[in-house]
Amino acid sequence: MTKSAWAWVWFAFLLALDIAIPWFVLTHVERLSGAFLFWTIWAAVAIASAFIIFLKWRGVEE
Amino acid sequence: MSTIFWVWFGIAVYIVVGLGIALMARRQLGVGVSEFFLANRRVGGFVSALSYSATTYSAFMMVGLAGLTYFTGVGALGFELTYLCGMFMMVFFLPRFWLVGRKYGYVSPMELLSDRYQNRGVGATTAILALVFLVPYGAIQLMGVGYLMNGVSGGAIPVVVGIIIAVVCAIAWSSIAGLRSVAWTDAFQALIMIVTSAAVLGVVIAALGGFGAFFSKLEAASPGLLTVPTAGGSWNINMFIGLALPWLFFLISNPQVSQRLFIPRSVTAMKQMLGGFLIFGFIYTLISVLWGFGANLLVPGLENADLATPKLLSLSMIPTGLAIVVMIGITAAAISTIDSILLTLSSVWARDIHRGLINPKVSERGELRVGQWVIPIMAVIAFVFAWWAAGKTGLDFMIAPLASAASAGLLMAVPTIFGAFFWKRATALGAIVSCIAGAIVVLIFQITGAKPLGWWPGTWGFIVCAILFVGVSLSTKPPKAKAEEFIGYLRGALKKGNFI
Repeated sequence: MTKSAWAWVWFAFLLALDIAIPWFVLTHVERLSGAFLFWTIWAAVAIASAFIIFLKWRGVEE
Repeated sequence: MSTIFWVWFGIAVYIVVGLGIALMARRQLGVGVSEFFLANRRVGGFVSALSYSATTYSAFMMVGLAGLTYFTGVGALGFELTYLCGMFMMVFFLPRFWLVGRKYGYVSPMELLSDRYQNRGVGATTAILALVFLVPYGAIQLMGVGYLMNGVSGGAIPVVVGIIIAVVCAIAWSSIAGLRSVAWTDAFQALIMIVTSAAVLGVVIAALGGFGAFFSKLEAASPGLLTVPTAGGSWNINMFIGLALPWLFFLISNPQVSQRLFIPRSVTAMKQMLGGFLIFGFIYTLISVLWGFGANLLVPGLENADLATPKLLSLSMIPTGLAIVVMIGITAAAISTIDSILLTLSSVWARDIHRGLINPKVSERGELRVGQWVIPIMAVIAFVFAWWAAGKTGLDFMIAPLASAASAGLLMAVPTIFGAFFWKRATALGAIVSCIAGAIVVLIFQITGAKPLGWWPGTWGFIVCAILFVGVSLSTKPPKAKAEEFIGYLRGALKKGNFI
């Protein structure tokens, strides 16, 4: 698979977790350590993944 | 001196400083359409990041999202962070928009679509979509300012006066020097937004005994708000998808932000813009949600959750000076969004409707003049909508659901945009039919309140839109030569820059 295809698959995986974990795993956890903490870490992982990709960009017209 | 005096004083200082920045930006203003609407594609990374942040984050966050959190709990965090996760798609779309914007000289995202599909109808259709659905979104910003000024002043400033102040500022910021004044004032306003919101959240959490005590009190007082679905029934999966789906694709469906993908002056500026925005967004989202939870603890039982922020700011534990500064910060957030919307809509009207359909031979000067006239007209339309909606209550008239409903309509352009960059077989007819049919489905379901199978209007519209886009494209003839040239160019340029 190309790098681009891997990135799309990773993105789809993140979206699947977005629903699966809060509604099916943490649905009875009525604490900050439940959905609140999950979504916070999940978003930080998504952001870090974007950084890993875009920090490799090179100037094309600089 | 009285609170009301200081409220007016704060507003006056904000307007004077903003006006000063906009006038300074005007000194750099050159000539031409690209200069006015895109600052000649020469915006640095720092200003791009702050401007993108201020345009994206609006009164929606500290008023709407905080209100939604107050009313419905932690699902609001997931909903907003889903948007931020959607920004991952920037790694695909930012370089693509930027590269073709430079090569072909596009001024608006709709112009890109017209050219790629070799059909002006595509640009005009998506332009009309933007004009119809961005008006309520713009109006929401005005409502936010109205609620806030009314709340902080203890009712002394009527909601409609707050709305008028926001309209006048937005017209001024966007008219004085086009994108230059918008971007510069945005940068100034983004700094106010993040600093003031963090400061006031700190005061609230300190008043509740620090972070540990804050979370313990929240778990004890409202445990049902910390899970999905909530105890009250909010945030079932259908609601989450219905609200989050339009948000997920916000970065390409909303032209006021996708147009910003044309403006960074270099790849370095692009990286700074994206990185800066992601960090800003993450922090600002957490602040807004914690603020909403704080309001739930301190001012429980409100009927209109959009009043949570104004009510919290009017508590005696918040120093008046800080409350006024925060009010200015949220006002800045709202105005920085609506002025960008006005500027984008004016460019879309001038380039894609006036030049694209009405008068293709119009001079650049004439096109610019048309765009400048559209700014106050769209502002007045948004004002009327805001005035009407501000008196209503209930989930449908809360800021967050209204914002998502507006984005649900804009979502119908997403298959067309994906097709432009990734599918050579995509056709103009597929794009036009899917946008129109999807938008009609969204409008009908929103007006009637129908939710078959419990799915929200945006979800149904998107399904209909995507099926029609693929089906009609496969049964019509694509612009083969342009598709090969456009996607072929991108393939080479993306490789050169190590983009994916």
